[in-house]
Amino acid sequence: MSKLERLLNLTAVLLDTDRPLSAASIRNRVEGYPEATASFRRSFERDKDDLRSLGIPLRVERVPGVDPPVDGYRIPPDEYYFPDPDLEPDELAALHLASMSVRVDGLGEEEALWKLGGLSDVQSDPAAGSVAVPTSPALVPLFDAIAARRAVRFTYNKEERLVDPWRLDFHRGRWYLTGHDHLRSAERNFRLDRIGGEVVPEGEPGQAAQGDRPATGRRLQAWEIGDHPPTLVKLRVDPARVAWARKQFGPDVAAAPEADGGVVLEVPVVMIDAFRSLVLEFLDHAEILEPPEMRDDMIRWLSEVAKQ
Amino acid sequence: MSKTPAGERLRRVLAMVPWVVANPGVAVDQIAERFGISETDVLDDLHVVWMVGLPPYTPDALVEVVVEDSRVWIHYADFFARPLRMTPGQGLALLASSDALLSLPGTDPAGPLSRALDKLAAALNIDVDESLQVSLGAAGTEHLEPLRAAIAAGTEVQIEYFSYGRDQVSSRRVAPWHLSSNGGAWYVEAWCHNANGERLFRLDRIAELATTGQVSEHPPRGPRGKEPGFQPMAGHDRIKLRLTKGASWVVDTYPCEQVERHDDESVTATLAVSSTPWLERLLLRLGPDAEVVPDGSFDGADNVAAAAARRILGRYRS
Repeated sequence: MSKLERLLNLTAVLLDTDRPLSAASIRNRVEGYPEATASFRRSFERDKDDLRSLGIPLRVERVPGVDPPVDGYRIPPDEYYFPDPDLEPDELAALHLASMSVRVDGLGEEEALWKLGGLSDVQSDPAAGSVAVPTSPALVPLFDAIAARRAVRFTYNKEERLVDPWRLDFHRGRWYLTGHDHLRSAERNFRLDRIGGEVVPEGEPGQAAQGDRPATGRRLQAWEIGDHPPTLVKLRVDPARVAWARKQFGPDVAAAPEADGGVVLEVPVVMIDAFRSLVLEFLDHAEILEPPEMRDDMIRWLSEVAKQ
Repeated sequence: MSKTPAGERLRRVLAMVPWVVANPGVAVDQIAERFGISETDVLDDLHVVWMVGLPPYTPDALVEVVVEDSRVWIHYADFFARPLRMTPGQGLALLASSDALLSLPGTDPAGPLSRALDKLAAALNIDVDESLQVSLGAAGTEHLEPLRAAIAAGTEVQIEYFSYGRDQVSSRRVAPWHLSSNGGAWYVEAWCHNANGERLFRLDRIAELATTGQVSEHPPRGPRGKEPGFQPMAGHDRIKLRLTKGASWVVDTYPCEQVERHDDESVTATLAVSSTPWLERLLLRLGPDAEVVPDGSFDGADNVAAAAARRILGRYRS
């Protein structure tokens, strides 16, 4: 008897039972285990690992009415089966195409498509391009916790955090978590690549607080973040950098054209450091015109660097 | 991934059986295609499934597999008639791919992908609007459609391109080959007629793009796509910087060599210099948070920032 056959029989027996089965009774019911007790134990341990690594929900519970207590095993059918999303063929094909053009590394897209009815016969469009979305070890445990509405514990900036996770964002090539940070008693963002150690779920599923729906629409730029009201800054940009500047500052920033083809942008600035950094990216192709205190801030900064 | 070959086969069989149950009489070659395996492997897997059942393993308690004229029927496979739940990672992979594509301009918000995403999210019990957002970067995406059309037609485009490293804008005639998104930016790989070679252009640095309709003649695409981003090489200058705690992001952002962390959380790191404008920008932005360590740096390294600052100041004082 092959090991695959034994694993299938084991899965069937554990799905079929509504009370947990002890290892001894599994040995009696499932064919294909070695005779010697020590070899049976080793095989059974490896089989359990195999089932778990596939994501099969193998429950360990005490066998009722037995003294001394004995561990028993079962697979609850309602946790095992995937609720059929009832995809139309064009919808399955669209998912398959999406997973071909946006590769989320190492999460098992292919098997996910199998579970939806196999890979459909689609050809990727070479002109559509390819996208790589990197992953991080924290990503899947956080997603799992969000789905289960469960709090998580992890280390961030050398501090232990307890967070009710709300949302995962992939933005500018990085993953971020938004959630309620119990340590700070406030909403916080975390960069996933700075989460140290393991993400450990805590508390019961369904217990974590839920976040407000994120504001739809435009995400704030770095120089717009902060608590005080914005200062409107006039920034002159030379003709050859106008297109790049418009992309950096976004389409909502007002731009007055100049006679030579340059523009004067009106940027609402909250975070001065972030704004200064961006203006410096233009080297000598941009100049802060107004207000005087912002112009002076830049002159002061440059004078300090010039003295170095 | 399962640790054993049998575990891997189990993974496949648990997905294959429900599909065959739902599609009675499906052809063996069709199963092979759907699950990406050979027809022999399909028959081997089916042969094993045939033996499976519950104690006492009498025929009426076993799965029945019928193969006739290369067509397959599976009966009495009640426990395996529906697929195994997706793992969180598998669900996330599909949702993230779909959400990323739907964030691009030109995607039909009522199309099959959008409908598939809604159904899948419901099955996984996830509110995608609330809990997942994958953005591939909006800057420059207005160039995606004309570039796709040019790639499909094999034609050239004329671009005004801002070279960030050289801090110059130039007009180029290019034949685009391949689009990709990486690290939050879109890139097009192309044959550049001006440089007479393969180049990688960032879409958010393309100021203007005009389609020419001209069918391009150029050497074929090289064997391997260029990696986006700067790759340090032996010929590049090196600069050694002492960075305060507040500037230690530099180490996470650029390829660094010989990183040394100090007790006050400052860092000393050696970086390859991709171009002078790049170094000027970095040092100007860091200001007092970075100090050039003469040891190991090229001649004049300690004067780069000051010279750039004086050049820009000239503009403010004129």
